[in-house]
Amino acid sequence: MKIVYTDALIVGGGLAGLRSAIATREKGLDTIVISMVPVKRSHSAAAQGGMQASLGNAVMGEGDNEDVHFADTVKGSDWGCDQNVARMFVTTAPKAIRELAAWGVPWNRIGKGPREVIINGEKETIVEKDEAHGLINARDFGGTKKWRTCYTSDATGHTMLYAVANEALRRNVEIHDKKEAISIIHENGICGGVVARDLISGELIAYIAKGTMIATGGYGRIYKQSTNAIICKGVGVAIALETGIVQLGNMEAVQFHPTPIVPSGILLTEGCRGDGGVLRDKDGYRFMPDYEPEKKELASRDVVSRRMIEHIRKGKGVKSPYGDHLWLDISILGREHIEKNLHDVQDISKTFNGIDPADEGEKGWMPVLPMQHYSMGGIRVKPTGESTTMKGLFCSGEAACWDLHGFNRLGGNSVSEAVVAGMIVGEYFASYCKETHLTTNTFTIQKFLEVQKAYLQEILSYDGGKNIFDIKDRMRIIMQEKVGVFRNGKDLSDAVDELEDLLKMVKEITVTDKALCINPELNEAYRVTKMLKLALCVSKGALERTESRGAHFREDYTKRDDENWLNRTITTWTDPNDTMPTLSYEEIDISKMEMPPAFRGYGKKGAIMSNPLSEIREEEITKIKETLGKVDRFTTQEALLDFDLPKEYKRKNERMGVGYD
Amino acid sequence: MIDQENQEVSNEEEFRKIEITVFRYNPQNSNTKPEYQTYTLEETPGMTLYIALIKIWSTMDHNISFDFVCRAGICGSCSMVVNGKPRLACKTRTSEFEDGKITLLPLPTFKHIKDLSVDTGNWMNAMSKKVESWIHAKEETDITAIEKPVEPDVAQAVFELDRCIECGICLAACSTKIMKEDFVGAVGLNRTARFAIDPHDERSDEDFYELIGDDNGVFGCMSLMGCEDHCPKDLPLQTKIAYMRRKMVKM
Amino acid sequence: MPQQDSTVELLTGKDSVGKKSKIPARLDLLQSATGLILSFFIIFHIVFESSILFGKAAMYRLTKIFEGEPFIEGGEPLIISALAFGIFVIFIFHALLAMRKFPSSYKEYQRYRTQSKMLKHSDTNLWFIQITTGFVMMFLGSIHLYTMMTQPENIGPYASSDRIYSDIAWPMYLILLISVVLHTGVGVYRLIIKWGWFDGSNPRANRIRSKKIIQAVVVVYLVLGLLSLGTYMKIGYDHQEEYGNRYSEVHK
Ligand SMILES: Cc1cc2nc3c(=O)[nH]c(=O)nc-3n(C[C@H](O)[C@H](O)[C@H](O)COP(=O)(O)OP(=O)(O)OC[C@H]3O[C@@H](n4cnc5c(N)ncnc54)[C@H](O)[C@@H]3O)c2cc1C
Ligand code: HEM
Ligand code: HEM
Ligand code: SF4
Ligand code: F3S
Ligand code: FES
Repeated sequence: MKIVYTDALIVGGGLAGLRSAIATREKGLDTIVISMVPVKRSHSAAAQGGMQASLGNAVMGEGDNEDVHFADTVKGSDWGCDQNVARMFVTTAPKAIRELAAWGVPWNRIGKGPREVIINGEKETIVEKDEAHGLINARDFGGTKKWRTCYTSDATGHTMLYAVANEALRRNVEIHDKKEAISIIHENGICGGVVARDLISGELIAYIAKGTMIATGGYGRIYKQSTNAIICKGVGVAIALETGIVQLGNMEAVQFHPTPIVPSGILLTEGCRGDGGVLRDKDGYRFMPDYEPEKKELASRDVVSRRMIEHIRKGKGVKSPYGDHLWLDISILGREHIEKNLHDVQDISKTFNGIDPADEGEKGWMPVLPMQHYSMGGIRVKPTGESTTMKGLFCSGEAACWDLHGFNRLGGNSVSEAVVAGMIVGEYFASYCKETHLTTNTFTIQKFLEVQKAYLQEILSYDGGKNIFDIKDRMRIIMQEKVGVFRNGKDLSDAVDELEDLLKMVKEITVTDKALCINPELNEAYRVTKMLKLALCVSKGALERTESRGAHFREDYTKRDDENWLNRTITTWTDPNDTMPTLSYEEIDISKMEMPPAFRGYGKKGAIMSNPLSEIREEEITKIKETLGKVDRFTTQEALLDFDLPKEYKRKNERMGVGYD
Repeated sequence: MIDQENQEVSNEEEFRKIEITVFRYNPQNSNTKPEYQTYTLEETPGMTLYIALIKIWSTMDHNISFDFVCRAGICGSCSMVVNGKPRLACKTRTSEFEDGKITLLPLPTFKHIKDLSVDTGNWMNAMSKKVESWIHAKEETDITAIEKPVEPDVAQAVFELDRCIECGICLAACSTKIMKEDFVGAVGLNRTARFAIDPHDERSDEDFYELIGDDNGVFGCMSLMGCEDHCPKDLPLQTKIAYMRRKMVKM
Repeated sequence: MPQQDSTVELLTGKDSVGKKSKIPARLDLLQSATGLILSFFIIFHIVFESSILFGKAAMYRLTKIFEGEPFIEGGEPLIISALAFGIFVIFIFHALLAMRKFPSSYKEYQRYRTQSKMLKHSDTNLWFIQITTGFVMMFLGSIHLYTMMTQPENIGPYASSDRIYSDIAWPMYLILLISVVLHTGVGVYRLIIKWGWFDGSNPRANRIRSKKIIQAVVVVYLVLGLLSLGTYMKIGYDHQEEYGNRYSEVHK
């Protein structure tokens, strides 16, 4: 057993982790990033669509600024987000993208003059301004007022991650890959580091640091079907939960995407439907117009996902060895259009399914099914990124419930969050590390190492004959079927019960190979145990939340209930021997909101049970605005919601045509 | 308990059997010798090597090691030698092999970890440092100001080269790299070309010469084109290595 | 000890101003340049030497032209000696440069062979042809050049044929011919790729095109060479009784 000391320890080498590492190195702190896989393979690399930042360069983004981005984000979250954090985020996002540009991310750039685009399936010509020539371009994404999503073709996450990783290498961030954090070391409510397992030698290593950050991404793999990478198992979030002290927030808030391809779960972009592609059932029938006569296939992500599942439940799904699915038909757009505009979709479909979507008729239909896509929930942190309950433990990126996304995140806001949080939280984290001294004593370190060693040995000694893979499959199926797009009290309580049984059942497995070193079955045994705990947090949270908000949809409580449920679900695992998480709730204070709860502008109208405080705050806001008289938007904004940002991140952002206004 | 295999047999269709032979070796276990193990399984529609290997792992042999992350051809983790050719396993469909026989070996030239798993991360990080794979600019950027404009075509050209996923296939397909341990390979040379054409990078040809002007760099390449012909991202390695060579030889 | 650049490089890998040595760049360029010169030489050599296909007289005339007959009465075989010497120097220089690329130990060779057999990749296999043919030429080419340097006067329809047939030089020439044609073909293809000469707007398609054209030229040259070799053998066979006699135009 080995002990490694450093100033700043970051668990997870995705966009969030690596950008934070840069922040700590800039302050001269020795920094180690540990990651399960080589950092450039982190799941951030998979983001295709783009990153939101209100630059307002493109003609379709004109007039965009922090305020518009803020409003979109808050509405998107169904008022579940922390508006303070949302403000911090939108103010920093333009800086993040400009920093990335300077680091070499080859953002798609605007070419002046006319170009042809497709808006709502119609060809239109837009004319880009001369002075915008060469500036960063943006595309349209769901739920945004302006075209705000900046991109590098279909590989946005990849180019961002490589730029950030290379900058980290440049600053001599120490990267230790093939190391998995399996437990958090803490004493007196202060985090001291982690116990990590070398995934090659099996050796246990205690990484001891002044401050520790978890940036381990999402945990989509608790679902049978997910667009997430297969390493997205949530071990990082689970070890925080297992401290018994750290809180998780909004675990039931899980986003589903309507059109990943079956069986691989690889995402087919929303552009397929945007350009006019349609969904069909087993009879080749286009069913969406029956459900959503107005928007049809182009209704919002969660709505389309729900309708698809509804249709499959009516027995209209196409049977396959991988379960039921529906068809996505883009062949009607014509070969030319597909080869030019949906090239990547064609590529994915051809390589992974052997289907050329440009082939006419049934032959070209692609099998699709709504699948888990994003985890809004995670480790509950303050706006500084520090755990609400454990000192010295920070968290950023998808693993965190910083609470930018509330109950639904907007496309393009999460890679953006990962980098922006890396900047902001990274800065607070670095300051913390700078001011702190190492206190964890070796006795404590040894104790935590011993516990983990004993735990692994215990797993190897189980001899009940059961198989961890079966338990995992069962868990993933339960989550898929009972805690999915549609939720209801009965299914959820079944799910909670079954998952609890599964968690208990882990003690009845047998691991074939007894080696402590590289042993993929042993890895699975402890990972699945942790995944089960997260799955329980998700389903228990969903069971208790008797309303529908954002991505969380209850068939038995279809309205958003601001009166009783404008709060954040907080989950803890108070005792290691528990088989069920402990829930509590954190109020979201309307009286501090810059934008009190209202209708989102999409989805069903009148599906809200509003809170009388909303109206009061609304009046208050009008009054504040009146007293202020004629002032610039920054003064108004500050009067409504004052927020802090470290470093120079609060400075105003320059924009084409309007300067720093 | 749910039985995966039964679930699939319940499907009426008949699928052919395929044979997957895997190189098995754990260098850490002194009792084991390198050996080949063959697994027979039923080929389901659209099966990729990812699906096949996960199936083998979860139902036949819990101890087999391999690396997948994105399973979508994006992250570059799953490179291995498939019937002699280095490729991304997750992007390889089993139906491509008419006789249904597939042999899988770990990627050569990298440190072998176990079975099909090799250590690419440390090599790639060292390579990135060696060619200083980042923007070199003298002045600091004011991130509140409007970004520096870039010609759309130039941005596109940089993007083309930035698509490399560090999968290591160009190295496994390069006999030069197989013979000369320290050769930076097409991946490294492409990286320098990427920064050489990026308008943000102020390095001169002379600076690049310091990084790749030797037989471990661009002059080590013997134009074998294994890289060009196997790169899963179809990067223009042939022309970019030539581009760097022309630049460097002018020094 | 005086400050010498090579000493500094020996110790630091950089030159005296701390810059990386420019020698690798020079060597790479020279390797290609010598290869290119030799290639041009061979392209013409085989054509000239196949003049025998047009009859003894044609070959004789050409030989004489090379001996500088238009300017020097009766021709001067030493010119050929000198030419051969020049080529020999380039040849050796090229070989030395190319040898840097040879597998430097059996282990390297074995790794290379195992991998390339597994890979079954055509351009990689071409390189194997290149190093083997180069290796073969190093010996046979040297013998041939030595002959040309030392006996420049023994070139001509009968002298050459006697050497090829009666002195049993033909097996050497056969091997040398195949080697040199393949080596030059592969070498020139590699030069095109290496420096990106004919990339055009579609480098991938043009690479395939270059390869196809070169394949065709290689075949033409092989046929040409084999026919000439056959012709020399035929003449040598007919001439064996008069071995040692020289061709003379007056004969006609
Ligand atoms: C298919 C797909 C497409 C997407 N497209 C977009 C998009 O277009 N726009 C957008 O904004 N968002 C998109 N997202 C979401 C976005 O990509 C992620 O939310 C974001 O990249 C998360 O970044 P991260 O740094 O938090 O985590 P990740 O990038 O997931 O990194 C997690 C890191 O933690 C490490 N790790 C995990 N567990 C441990 C452990 N126990 N010990 C040590 N290390 C560990 C991993 O190795 C990895 O390095 C997409 C997501 C998916 C699935
Ligand atoms: C008439 C004789 C020869 C001709 C026309 C010739 C031509 C060429 C050419 C054009 C090249 C490509 C150069 C480059 O890649 O930069 C080449 C490469 C090579 N030559 Fe020759 N060559 C000849 C003799 C030899 C000899 C005698 C050897 C033996 C040692 C040799 C060994 C090689 C090797 C090994 C290469 C490959 C170098 C590499 O891949 O970088 N050649 N030759
Ligand atoms: C200046 C130098 C050279 C001269 C003067 C020269 C001359 C000749 C002559 C006169 C012949 C006819 C046969 C004979 O007389 O023996 C011949 C044949 C041949 N030479 Fe050379 N040669 C030269 C260099 C080379 C080199 C460098 C190579 C290749 C490495 C080469 C390869 C051959 C081959 C392969 C043949 C046989 C061709 C055939 O049979 O068609 N020669 N050469
Ligand atoms: S250049 Fe191509 S083959 Fe090489 S590492 Fe990059 S993507 Fe892989
Ligand atoms: S295969 Fe190797 S030798 Fe050069 S052209 Fe590619 S790097
Ligand atoms: S698993 Fe990511 S490329 Fe294959």
